[in-house]
Amino acid sequence: MSNVKSLKIMTEFQHLDNLMDAKASFEKAHPDVVITIEQAADHAESHRALQSDEAPDIVESGGWSIFNRKGLFVDLLPRVEEIPGLKDDLNPGVMRVAGKDGTLPGLPVDVALPLILYKRELFDNAGLPYPREGWTWEEMIETAKKLTLRNERGVATQFGLGFGVDVEEFEPFVMRNGGRYVSPDGTTARGYADQLPVIEAYRLLIDAYRVHRVIRRPGEPSEAGELHEGFALIFGFAWFAGAVVRYGLEDKYGVVGLPRMPGGENANMIYMGAAGISAKSPNRELAWAFLRHYALERPEAFRQANTLPITRSLAERSGYTVHPVWRRYIEELDFVQTSGFYLSEKWNSSRQLINEEIIRMINEGADVARTIRGWTRFA
Amino acid sequence: MRDGNGLDPDVANNAEKEKESADLGTELAERARAGDTEAFGELIERHRCRAKGWAERMTGDPHLADDIVQDALIRAFMHIGSLQDANRFLPWLHRIVRNQANMRLRRGGPHRREKPFTSFEARERNGGSVDWDNLDSILDHLTRSAGKAAMKEDDPVEHLMRKEMYETIHAVLHCLTKKERAIFEAYFFKQLSPEEIAAMYGMTTGSIYTYIHRSRQKLRQEQIRVSLGLLPEKGGAILARHKMLELAEWPAHASLPTTMVDRLGHMLATMGDSRDIAELMGLSGFAFRMQISEKTTFADGIYMFDWRETLISFARDLGYEAALVCGQLSDFPVPLLGAVEKFPVVLPIEEAVLPFIRQTIDSGRPVLYFDTSATRPFIHEWSLICGYDDERRVVHLTDVMCPEGKTLSYEDVADNPIRFLAALTRQADRDRTASLPGTRDTRRRRLAEKTVRFAVSFAKNRWAYRPMTSYLSYVTGLAAYDTWIGHLRRGPGSPPNRYGMGHLAYVYSRTKSCAAAYLRTVPFEGEAMRFTLLASQAYEQAAEALRELEELAPFVKTAELMQADLCERCAGLLEQARTFEASAIGYLEKTIPYLEKGTSQ
Repeated sequence: MSNVKSLKIMTEFQHLDNLMDAKASFEKAHPDVVITIEQAADHAESHRALQSDEAPDIVESGGWSIFNRKGLFVDLLPRVEEIPGLKDDLNPGVMRVAGKDGTLPGLPVDVALPLILYKRELFDNAGLPYPREGWTWEEMIETAKKLTLRNERGVATQFGLGFGVDVEEFEPFVMRNGGRYVSPDGTTARGYADQLPVIEAYRLLIDAYRVHRVIRRPGEPSEAGELHEGFALIFGFAWFAGAVVRYGLEDKYGVVGLPRMPGGENANMIYMGAAGISAKSPNRELAWAFLRHYALERPEAFRQANTLPITRSLAERSGYTVHPVWRRYIEELDFVQTSGFYLSEKWNSSRQLINEEIIRMINEGADVARTIRGWTRFA
Repeated sequence: MRDGNGLDPDVANNAEKEKESADLGTELAERARAGDTEAFGELIERHRCRAKGWAERMTGDPHLADDIVQDALIRAFMHIGSLQDANRFLPWLHRIVRNQANMRLRRGGPHRREKPFTSFEARERNGGSVDWDNLDSILDHLTRSAGKAAMKEDDPVEHLMRKEMYETIHAVLHCLTKKERAIFEAYFFKQLSPEEIAAMYGMTTGSIYTYIHRSRQKLRQEQIRVSLGLLPEKGGAILARHKMLELAEWPAHASLPTTMVDRLGHMLATMGDSRDIAELMGLSGFAFRMQISEKTTFADGIYMFDWRETLISFARDLGYEAALVCGQLSDFPVPLLGAVEKFPVVLPIEEAVLPFIRQTIDSGRPVLYFDTSATRPFIHEWSLICGYDDERRVVHLTDVMCPEGKTLSYEDVADNPIRFLAALTRQADRDRTASLPGTRDTRRRRLAEKTVRFAVSFAKNRWAYRPMTSYLSYVTGLAAYDTWIGHLRRGPGSPPNRYGMGHLAYVYSRTKSCAAAYLRTVPFEGEAMRFTLLASQAYEQAAEALRELEELAPFVKTAELMQADLCERCAGLLEQARTFEASAIGYLEKTIPYLEKGTSQ
């Protein structure tokens, strides 16, 4: 009779290098274990697999939505508490968002948050000082105005600020102005999204597109090139920072926190997925051993990464705490808050309907307050 | 000034306009009643201001009025199927707005709202009060100890509220079966534990929980119905009925991999309008589409297009109007997010879909339905609902892998995370125009020209469909081959997805064959036809290369990883297919000038 133990992992990620490296090193350390990896196209496929009679032992998802569902995953908190020092080692900011009703359904992976990266060369060309921590929204807009260049046809050849159009990316500015999209329990947007701090933050953001014209509007012609080319300030997630590091451009970019908003709150958003153990897994101990190895014990995973480590020790061992770019991202983890899309599935599902309304505010001048007050219907 | 009939022309014009507007309103209400969400959207646009005016007059608060109208419209949407007379839409809407306004005013303002059952637990524990308008809150309250409730009996307000609450519950209990009602009363009114009830009925505790859960769901729906002032109907929501349509013969060898088009063909055949399937693939443009995810060889690109717009315009090209019901649920992970991202979030309630299904089936037409529980190796596909049975609470539908068809429970249909149903109605003037001399040929030629232009522009457009969801992107046209080949050559750290690879080969080998077949039949002449036939041959060669690809990577459910040599052989075949398709597009481009000249010479 064979003593080989098998572990089935389902992942929603397409790049499997990191997972396959972890599989190889784990199998080497545990010669009696065979790990199989299966890809899922989306959360729905992972969810279906978890509910099936042949549920994988571990599911790794790029989002948090399936981890919000009760009963699908083993609570990892008791296991974390069993390991001396681990609970204190886990980054408290990350854990603040990852915890669900006092449980931990998965270990966060693919962790990212936004900061402002600035391209030194464009500042030098304009003779402007680099942004400094604690700068205000007003200062950022004034800087971005000076760094937005347009040709004789009015087409921008350089934008002051590289920023998208997405309700989620607007959220850190809402948070920093003291607002929230939905209630802490996620049951309503009434009394939250429709309140003054949110409306005020949106007015400032929409003005940046419409009045100050420092951000490219949806559909606006541009000769500014790609984000790494003609954009002086970049609202950059860890993915963008990862590319800066990968291409050896650390000297060309500086990094600074998001500007202070009138509301004065120091807060930021965080994106993350998770890897969790299926409640149906017959191999929970083995699965937990692999998860620890995969997510907590391998500093080499962050050599060319786009994401942030979730423990303090891993941040140190991977050199993130002293790295010129990553250091600032690690510091920012202390201030992350739970976003609306984690708290309310309805809000999350309505994201593109909301984005269409944001585009109407930017491109058509739809009334900001009136539009936002209508968003109570989305949660 | 008056005309010869003694009528003031302005008055006559206004009267005429009002009549037209009323007719359109009735037509929209009729379509909305049949479940057409697009029509409901138009109705909302027409009446939103008026509804707000009613609510504002009752509350004196414009913001509260907005909320009331929003809630009223949601409820109207959920229950439009119960509107007996389409001419009475406005009074019906007025009643809903009035009820909603009364409810809000009684509750005391905008900041109290319905919450899911679970959210009340903490509040109760903290000594919070009961929301007497909310069934979940009431039921939660009832599950607390009777003694605690009795302590409040001295409070006259509480006493009155409890009296109203019992009346409300008794008013809606009729929707339960006898057994459900007995278990419900034992649990909520007699405060027996599930274990005690299980012992009474000789059932398991688990099944008692199931009964309680189901009863709660049914009561919640019924409460909404009562709050709308709709008459309760005995034995549940409707008189139990069933109907089964006989679908037209549709042999497996005739079916197409692009299942929306295939099911539409089957639907039309059932409605007595058989079409050539290659023609349907050509006219719909699906014979010429190819989309590959930028992530890996996942097969989701097959489904990435604007479902609503595509179906409506294709139906019109065929001489039909499409009525749609669409939405997404927020309680379940939704597949194919890039296609459904802008669908409104809807509630998982049967009443939002079953009236549409019943009405369409009753009129002898099948319902196009997006089935997210398709039998493997398929994951989700369009199907045809051809019957319903209220007693068994199931719909009958097609499934590629089940030649005899299958059933889904009403609950499964309501809980489908993607809600997309459609019915076709023949355009009123279709028969008249189709019989005009020369009309049919002219129309065929016009549609064929449109198709050729579409094929060329799609092939050259790398981004023909771009979802708003930032992390999803799909490459289209000839560039899709490059992306697909790129996935196969990314190295062992990012292997292509084998399951999706088989699905893509299965679908696109057949669509290219359809392109070849369609182009052979277009009504062109001379040089235009010569180039079109050359394009057809090139498409056939592309299809042949993709068929070989399918043999290397058959469409089966599998988690295996593709080895490097297999990836390379597949990439080579894709390069061949790309060359042939690029050649086909080149020929079609040469066709266009002849079409523009209006001459085939």
